[in-house]
Amino acid sequence: MKNQTNSWIIRIGIVVIAAIVVEVISFIQYQRVRSMLGEEMDLRTHVVMITMAHEIEHVLELAETTLAENEWDIVRNLNQPDSLFPVVRRLIDNNVHVVGGCLAFMPYYYPSKGRLFEPYAFKDKDGTISLVQLGGPDHDYTQNSEFKWSLDSLRSGWTDPYHYGPDSLSYTTYCVPIFDGKGRLATICGLDIDLSWLGDTLNAHQPFPSSFGLLLTQDGDLVAGPSKDQIDWKEVDLVVDILDGRLPESDYPGISIRSTTLDRDPYWQVVQVYKTDEVFSHMYELRRQSLFFMLLGLAILTFMINRFARNEKKLRMASEEQARFSGELAIARDIQEKMLPTEFHSDIFGTLDPAMEVGGDLYDFYIRDGKLFFCIGDVSGKGVPAAMLMSVIHSLFRMISKKEESPSQILNVLNKHLCGRNDNNMFVTFFAGCLDLYTGKLNYSNAGHDKPFLLTSSVSLLPAKANLPLGVFATTEFEQQSLILTPGTSLFLYTDGLTESKDKQHKNLGRARVQEVLESSLAQGKISPKQLVLALRQEAHSYSYGLPQSDDLTLLCVRYNPSKMLCEKLVLSNNSAEVSLLSDFVKKYLSQIEMDRKVSAGLRLALEETVVNVMNYAYPSGEYGEVTIYADSNYREVRFTVVDSGFPFDPTAVLSADITLDAKNRPIGGLGIHLTRKLVDSVSYCWKHGNNVLTLTKQI
Amino acid sequence: MTTKVEEIDGKFVATLIGELDTAAAAETEKALSPLLNSDGKDIIIDCTGLEYIASSGLRLLLSVLKKAQEVGSHVVLKNVNDVVKDVLDLTGFVSIFDFE
Repeated sequence: MKNQTNSWIIRIGIVVIAAIVVEVISFIQYQRVRSMLGEEMDLRTHVVMITMAHEIEHVLELAETTLAENEWDIVRNLNQPDSLFPVVRRLIDNNVHVVGGCLAFMPYYYPSKGRLFEPYAFKDKDGTISLVQLGGPDHDYTQNSEFKWSLDSLRSGWTDPYHYGPDSLSYTTYCVPIFDGKGRLATICGLDIDLSWLGDTLNAHQPFPSSFGLLLTQDGDLVAGPSKDQIDWKEVDLVVDILDGRLPESDYPGISIRSTTLDRDPYWQVVQVYKTDEVFSHMYELRRQSLFFMLLGLAILTFMINRFARNEKKLRMASEEQARFSGELAIARDIQEKMLPTEFHSDIFGTLDPAMEVGGDLYDFYIRDGKLFFCIGDVSGKGVPAAMLMSVIHSLFRMISKKEESPSQILNVLNKHLCGRNDNNMFVTFFAGCLDLYTGKLNYSNAGHDKPFLLTSSVSLLPAKANLPLGVFATTEFEQQSLILTPGTSLFLYTDGLTESKDKQHKNLGRARVQEVLESSLAQGKISPKQLVLALRQEAHSYSYGLPQSDDLTLLCVRYNPSKMLCEKLVLSNNSAEVSLLSDFVKKYLSQIEMDRKVSAGLRLALEETVVNVMNYAYPSGEYGEVTIYADSNYREVRFTVVDSGFPFDPTAVLSADITLDAKNRPIGGLGIHLTRKLVDSVSYCWKHGNNVLTLTKQI
Repeated sequence: MTTKVEEIDGKFVATLIGELDTAAAAETEKALSPLLNSDGKDIIIDCTGLEYIASSGLRLLLSVLKKAQEVGSHVVLKNVNDVVKDVLDLTGFVSIFDFE
């Protein structure tokens, strides 16, 4: 849990750091672009302003030139006051920007004209020129500030802009003093320039809705600007105030003001104003969008990485789990294999091939008290659950058959155990047999398993009543059947993995084919259990060649071979001369069961000692008595039983001779019992039906 | 079972051939009787042909050894095969006899 929290903190940390990096990059980019854009804006503004300045200068120059070119005309006509009207007319007629022209004469310059005389020409809206004489009591131009300025300075110059006329249009006037031939100041010539177009020109192509251009006088008075419907006039006032220094520019960081001054009189200022917010608003938007998309991308990336990491982790865990499970299955398989008996010999052989790692089939066999207990079973289902149940059954079979000889009883107990705790409704087909190795009597009981084949000189099915499988009903009573096997008879047991082996057409191998293979094996002289089992296993494998094994395959073959299970008997009198008969009997018997030479010698000695002891001491001296020797063996042990009807005597109770004494102190007798004990694996005595029964057993 | 006793170079040499079982013990005991009066001569018992020995046979060997030790004779068992040797081993005879 703590690790998980830590890993989350690390992940979130990485995302936050990445987001910060993205933000910083975006900010730096923004700043750079903004500064570039600012420079670009300044340059553009500057160009616009310079252009405007040139245009204004051009207009002003044109007016000045017009006047300069016509000055002689004025001077020439000074002596004829009335001829000055056409002169003034010509003055304004030549220049589109000049809307009016006047000659304001010095008072009483023409005594005939009275104190004030001012010929004036003006253009109306459609360009028609009208001529009037303006000077008079209602128009005293001498009071005019421009007139006064010209008189004082006696040089030419431009007036400050002013508003005039019904439309209150903005004008400026170029004033030039004109001197007559006698050097007297005769008149002030003025050319009126309409400035209203300037405002329009300045604001005709503004890049932003709220940007605007202004033209100010040197003193900061407004010459021209945007029309009032174009812009909030308060802003114009604000800019004018800032430029005049009445308001500090630093208080208005949102307003960018650029200005340039005309190179010549009247030294007006061309001003361009725009709002930085507006200029950079696209950039703000752009930056917001790019930041949004970068963060979105980052989030998607984080999500994907997270998903990948989680998937990768899941995959790793799954593969680890798989590896662990495979390892455990391999161990389980190993355990299962080790549970199967491996002490095969020439008369018993079995194989088990699970379809999966572990299987639900089982077989078992072992010899107890001269009887071969064997079984084969098939748990419904495959894999781990079947394998677990199989292990339980295997153990139960061993446990029950240790105390119970009857196969049907074994099945009854097994069935009750299974039914008692079988919540998964798994069942088991099972066949159990008990073969008496001395008599050849086979007891068997079948719980729903396939009938084994009986192999004598021919192949047939063992007549085995099916019964119900184990684990179905606790009340099932299993029927037991018996058969005396003739020597050489084999029993071939199998699970349905054999008969239900599938070929590519999903066709079963079938029982008939099994029988055929068994018959052909017999015909070829392949009659040992191992040969038979391997032949059928090979048949199943080649039948399903190239296909995965569909079911567990288990084969078991048992042969009744009494030559290895010899039971013989010898009766001797209590005459020790007959001991050589015993020697012959023992030697012959042991050679029949192929006993090792040294072990045989030991057994012969043990038996001789025992029998001689009986001959000498069991019966009263001189009285006839008999001693009977039974020899029997199975695959595991050889057993001699010595029976006499003499005095009850338990040789196992006799103390062993002391074999560490030196020759002098050694008793001559007493070695017999000692040797017997040493030479066999077990010596047991019992008094049975009036007989001494001494049993010597030697493991093979 | 064949038993032969000879006197060679001042030593008794007994040769045992066959199986010395209980049935053969009485006869063999008779045949070996000269050894019981060895007069201090050393005794060699040649077991090359001895295939088997029972406790009755061991008893004979022990009798011979006891008598010999009384008169200071030395008893040697010669060429004992593994089957017989095992029996001698099991009974502790290996420690009281000398072997060649």
